[in-house]
Amino acid sequence: MPTMKAEDVYVGELEQLILLLVLRLGDEAYANPIREELARTAGRRMARGALYTALERLEQKGCLRSTMGNPLPERGGRARRYFTVTTAGLRALRQSRRVLLGLWDGVESKLETS
Amino acid sequence: MSLQSDPPAVLERLLERALAASPYRDDIVGDLREGYAAVLDNRSLTAARWWYCVQVLLLAVPYFCRSAVRSRVRFDSPAAHGGARMDRLLLDVRFAARSLRKRPTLTAAVVLTLAFGIGANAAVFGVIDALLMHPYDMHDVDRIVMPMTTSPRFSGHRETVSAADFLDWRRDLRGGAIDHLAAINWWDANLVGRDAPERVLGFFVSPPFFDALEARAAIGRTFLPDEEVPANAKRVVLSDGLWRRRFGADPSLVGRTVLVDAEQWLVVGVMPPGFDFPMRSELWAPLAFDGKSARNRSGHYLTVIGRLANGRSLADAQAQMSAIAQRLGKDYPETNAQLGALVSTLSRGMADVGVPPVLALWQAAGLFVLLIACANIANLLLARGAEREREIAIRLALGSSRGRVVSESLVESVMLVALSIAPSLAIASASLRVMHALMPARIVRFIAGWDRLGLSASTITATLACAAAAAVVFGVLPALHLARAGVSEALKSDGRAGAGPGRQRVRRALVVAEIALALPLLVAAVLSISTVTKFLTSWQGYDPNNVLTIRVILPESRYADADSRARFASAALDRLAAMPGVRGVAVGNVLPAIDSNAARAIEIDGQPVTDGSKAPRVDYRAISAQYFAVLHMPVLTGRAFTIGDQKTSEPVAIVSESMARKFWPSGAVGQRLRVADGAWMRVVGVCGDVVHDWFDSRNVPTLYRPLAQAPSDGLVFAIRTAADPLGAVADARTAVARVDPTQPIFDVMSMREVLSQKTISLQYIASVMAAFAGLALMLAVLGLYAVMSYLIAQRVREIGVRIALGATGRDVKSLTLSQAARLTATGLAVGSLLAVALGRAMEAGLLGLVSSDVRLTALLALALGATALAASYFPARRAAAVDPIVALRSE
Repeated sequence: MPTMKAEDVYVGELEQLILLLVLRLGDEAYANPIREELARTAGRRMARGALYTALERLEQKGCLRSTMGNPLPERGGRARRYFTVTTAGLRALRQSRRVLLGLWDGVESKLETS
Repeated sequence: MSLQSDPPAVLERLLERALAASPYRDDIVGDLREGYAAVLDNRSLTAARWWYCVQVLLLAVPYFCRSAVRSRVRFDSPAAHGGARMDRLLLDVRFAARSLRKRPTLTAAVVLTLAFGIGANAAVFGVIDALLMHPYDMHDVDRIVMPMTTSPRFSGHRETVSAADFLDWRRDLRGGAIDHLAAINWWDANLVGRDAPERVLGFFVSPPFFDALEARAAIGRTFLPDEEVPANAKRVVLSDGLWRRRFGADPSLVGRTVLVDAEQWLVVGVMPPGFDFPMRSELWAPLAFDGKSARNRSGHYLTVIGRLANGRSLADAQAQMSAIAQRLGKDYPETNAQLGALVSTLSRGMADVGVPPVLALWQAAGLFVLLIACANIANLLLARGAEREREIAIRLALGSSRGRVVSESLVESVMLVALSIAPSLAIASASLRVMHALMPARIVRFIAGWDRLGLSASTITATLACAAAAAVVFGVLPALHLARAGVSEALKSDGRAGAGPGRQRVRRALVVAEIALALPLLVAAVLSISTVTKFLTSWQGYDPNNVLTIRVILPESRYADADSRARFASAALDRLAAMPGVRGVAVGNVLPAIDSNAARAIEIDGQPVTDGSKAPRVDYRAISAQYFAVLHMPVLTGRAFTIGDQKTSEPVAIVSESMARKFWPSGAVGQRLRVADGAWMRVVGVCGDVVHDWFDSRNVPTLYRPLAQAPSDGLVFAIRTAADPLGAVADARTAVARVDPTQPIFDVMSMREVLSQKTISLQYIASVMAAFAGLALMLAVLGLYAVMSYLIAQRVREIGVRIALGATGRDVKSLTLSQAARLTATGLAVGSLLAVALGRAMEAGLLGLVSSDVRLTALLALALGATALAASYFPARRAAAVDPIVALRSE
């Protein structure tokens, strides 16, 4: 097994999707829109609980950082938790992109003809 | 924020509890709130609640399990007993799940039985919640109060308020405990808009009415204080529905006039959608008192509402109102000496007095069914426990604790209950939906809260509570038995598990209880069904087939005097009679079974009345000449009215048979009487009695007068047709419109429909009771069957010995059947006592609408007994067929 640097983290496919969506959503990245976008763009209907678990795990891995917004009346006075991608998260994304693109190289023609 | 835009609070708390360990708790709950609001916007309230319920379950269960697992991991050290306990619990859960899966039929039977029992209770609770606890969706509804007059005449019950009393109350309450005191009075408005005239249900209200309810107009305004003066009172506020339906949602309508009751009224405002208080009102006008009515203290006709002043409680309001009522009693002793005042909340004040006893009856019936279901399940589980007796004894002998065994059995019961919750809610929701759909719209508006029938948060809570109670009831009994199991006896015994006398006694007691609970339900159901069918099918003194009825209320502004009303009636009669396929037409102020009634105090010639309040009262009808002929009512002696009985001819009357018997036992024809201090009338005939309402006794004394001599502004036409009366509806509408195009007609129904709607509440009572009784019967019979099969299976060896020693099949059958018969008879004996008690409660609670009957109870007890014996016949036959060799070899 190749040794990883201490700050290197590995992110799975779903985690990649979530990180990308957080990047795309920008200031509006909290759980509800992330879940909706996931369903819309990737066709992945995710159980709410599973999404929170994934978000929690990404935060523990240091790929996401969360900040609380202002309390909102439509949420019964509760605040939204907004997510931003950390540098570690960006690095992880870049890493997996590099790996994937490397692997894609040379197999595209096979996929298209089959 | 209104109640509906929040998700059910119970579920939200449940979720918060389950998520307690999650760092994201608050934002998950918040996210769900946003989601709830989105579903609510796009779909219905029910959809949103269901959605929320599902989401909470999906979130709470995994989180709860995960936190349970975590706590196990964290405390999994020898020192931490808590963790070990959790560990064991998880093990028990897994074990119970496996054992339930292994017996799918048993599990399904238990879950279904429970679902019906719990679902029925939840449905009844849903009705109670909607009708009694939360009938109105208004802001701060608990601070809206209803002051009422109380009077010993109604044995301390509430009564409507007189105008003078209301004005005094308002003056004395200024700055007191109740703000925005407003009076409400019924208004049958005849609205002429762009299309055909229409009767609209409206209310005259004092201007503060809208402030008391904290309601604001969506367009324009509500009423100003100075619009209470008769000169300024020709103002109306429209409901959103009426504005859209009749005026095409035209915003410029505000500031223009509309034609109501043949007068011009200025439209000052339109209310927002959903505001229809009271009773789906569509039109409001200021309630104005002229000098005469403002001094009237004896006519009680107003409903009064108000809002508790800031910082004041219901008790403050009651104290202040009592003081005011006492003072009015001193100031006006002749009218107010006996009167008191009662302040209640709006929900309570508006509830029909007849509703709570009916709902209490339903709830009692529902509990009976649930108890029967629990008894059945306890029996099934006891049998299961008996099968495992040896296994458990071995485990105990090997050092397992009794606590473990008991907790295992409890976990299994809890899991069965948990499985039944979803189907219970589905059953409750479906029954509420059916109940809501079957109620005719013209009746719904008189039942505050009926539109709110559905699964509410409190209904769901009640369901959960019910389920928990059920789990305790049927789960504890088998668990206790396991706990008491004697190890050595069980191991020494020959495998005839569960045959111990103690266990059999419990099982028998359960069957006795089931039968004892089923009988009263059957009696109650048959009682209410027979009352309905009696009213609908037996002869009530007239022929309701092929009769079309039409109601008209003539507005005073257009038909001020008796002559104009009489002219309208006779012109309409001519037009209607000329329609094709019509056999005859009649009109009266009241027809049999129509919603309204009229009564008058009378004086019999030669029997002077000294005290006005003790004058005899009789039902009062003003009718056209053909009335008896059209309704096929017999004239027993004398004659019917003719067209010769006119205003100018001699005043005449016809009395019903019961009235004739009561006042003139030696013959009524030729005698004289008068209504109040009117002219003396001569009785010219005696007609048959009719049953006006299903709770009337058959013979209410009734006085009939010719319409020409006693014109009425409320008219009901009866049209006897050759074929289906509903085929004549269009012609009838045209005919009345020809007489007066601005006069609306309403309640155009066949007399059969009138009868059916008249009994709708009793039909509801009857069908709900029938459903409960059917369930109870089914469960009780199944329970008896199961227990008998079980007992016989236990006795196979004994029966084998008996047969080997020469007992015939018949002996064996009678042996087992007599055992069943003893159980049934005990159950029926206890049940009869309960049935008599329930019958009495129904008589008292349903205001004497039904009368309990000992013969009926006896008959049903026989029927139930026969069914029970039939159910135990099959196990008995099986017992008789036992092959002694097989039975003895099984040792």
